[in-house]
Amino acid sequence: MKEQGIPDNRKTNRKAAGIGIVLSLAACLFILLLAIRAGSVYISVSDLLKIIGSHITGRPLPAEVDPMTDSIFWTIRMPRAITAFLVGGALSVSGAVMQAVLQNPLASSYTLGVSSGASLGAGLVLLCGFTFSGLEGFMLPFAGFIFGLLTVMLSILLASRIDRSVSNQTIVLIGMVLSLFVNGILNFMMTFYGDRSKQLWLWMTGSFSARNWTHCAILFVTGLTGFIILFLLSGRLDILTFGELQASAMGVEVTRTKVLAMFVAALLTGVSVAFAGVIGFIDLAAPHVVRKIFGPSHRIVLPMSFVYGGAFMALCDLAARTVLSPREIPVGAVTALVGAPFFAYVFFAKGKRKI
Amino acid sequence: MELLLSNVSAGYGSEKVIENIDLSIKEGDSVFIGGRNGCGKTTLLRVMAGLMDFGGSVTIDGKDISKMKRKNVAQLVALMPQAGEMYFQYTVYQTVLLGRYARSNGLFGSFTTRDREYAKECMENCGVYEFKDRLLGELSGGQLQRVLLARTYAQETPFLFLDEPGSSLDIKYRAELCDYLGKWAEGKTSTPYGDVRNTVVAVFHDLGQARSICSRTVFLKNKTILADGPSSEVITPEMLEEVFDFDVAGYIERQVIVR
Repeated sequence: MKEQGIPDNRKTNRKAAGIGIVLSLAACLFILLLAIRAGSVYISVSDLLKIIGSHITGRPLPAEVDPMTDSIFWTIRMPRAITAFLVGGALSVSGAVMQAVLQNPLASSYTLGVSSGASLGAGLVLLCGFTFSGLEGFMLPFAGFIFGLLTVMLSILLASRIDRSVSNQTIVLIGMVLSLFVNGILNFMMTFYGDRSKQLWLWMTGSFSARNWTHCAILFVTGLTGFIILFLLSGRLDILTFGELQASAMGVEVTRTKVLAMFVAALLTGVSVAFAGVIGFIDLAAPHVVRKIFGPSHRIVLPMSFVYGGAFMALCDLAARTVLSPREIPVGAVTALVGAPFFAYVFFAKGKRKI
Repeated sequence: MELLLSNVSAGYGSEKVIENIDLSIKEGDSVFIGGRNGCGKTTLLRVMAGLMDFGGSVTIDGKDISKMKRKNVAQLVALMPQAGEMYFQYTVYQTVLLGRYARSNGLFGSFTTRDREYAKECMENCGVYEFKDRLLGELSGGQLQRVLLARTYAQETPFLFLDEPGSSLDIKYRAELCDYLGKWAEGKTSTPYGDVRNTVVAVFHDLGQARSICSRTVFLKNKTILADGPSSEVITPEMLEEVFDFDVAGYIERQVIVR
């Protein structure tokens, strides 16, 4: 064989993907900037850069920048936009992973009961005033996270008890049954604490208001760790999409990989839900859009899902706080209202890739 | 190298599909597994590849297959599945390349130039190279089957287990498949465990195909092995009638005479 073993138009494919990635990153940066700048208080890009520069380098703020502007952007808008971005990214990555692992284009961490578990946790805190000393400010995210994760672990544990190979159907069914059951408990509780239900409802529909740098830092560290683990699994995730039997025949330790991937994905969702409430749709839609553009290979799907999901969430939060200003729309409602038609368009528009 | 099954039983739920199976496959064998629908052919293949729970013992080169790492098993045994639904739209080339996973190294399991070259060769052998950039969802049943076959070859294993590899192929590709497998079975494959003579174990419904590739025949009936021996001795009119519960030889003859 004279010619190289590399198929002919591999290079052009790579080039196209490269251009796509660069364009996507640029768009994402633009959206993040937009999400930070837009609102009732105006700021120029140069002032914004000065503010960021002064906080990063520790130098005093230049005199021409109003301290009021600084506090609005550095303590309110930026952490808010970045939290939204990180949450959107984490949710999308976890959605992409769940869809691959469960071989189900409609799956996400929510399928395994993260949201209902987290809601129950938040419910216990908000309705019953349940709290630990020392954790007062963080009781809500803490309880949401723990209960969300516990529910997923219970789902996986129950599924593995019923079915040793932890098959996808069993997991999805157990997850749904457990979600409904946990929802039932929460609804039961709400009948006794009707007066505080409004607060719980607000939490459940999602919001990024009053997020600070501590939230960002926690999200960034957990998000990055989870992302790296999942990224290292990307080759195995590719193979898992062909089904457990084939994956096993091709040399993947199916059960171990699946449980690890699901656990980390649930962790990402759990952290997101803890800081932002239950925001649906992004975890489902972003990976589909990314696969349609870049193909299903997880080495590209995972990072691009993060970028697309993050940008989309930042945009939705921007809409949530500006469209009916000063009123705020629950961001979960925005993601679905904006996302569903867009998703339908992308999905049904004539395209080469089906999923 | 030998693949040895002793007193193997397996099934789904509490229902046993195969029971008390003793079977030895030696390197260099080419074995046809035949029998009626639901007699456990696919289950037997899966058990031999260590892909489902079973009772009894399956060893390969003396090692218990259920205790081996999947990657190590997949370096010795490749199983081509019956084609199912593909939800994720990989290209033909990406799909075949994934077959190299068990042979790849490193944290990422990155593919080397040799992996790509090998995958290309497998695609050419199965006649799928010309549409290597098409998506799985755009293929016909026969094309998809050839892609899965190429991916199975790409695993570069000395033991090849094929579950009805020709069921959706047109007559030309069937002939090519038989030619290729016949030639392949003469050769050797170098594995991390040294060179091993190539070994085929295949389920066919087409007896002609089976005869042209496999020198040994195993018939299953009533959950266990009914006959095992050289194809020329086992595939007889009497035996076929016993396996399939009707006059197979007479049927084949009538078909030919009517034409």
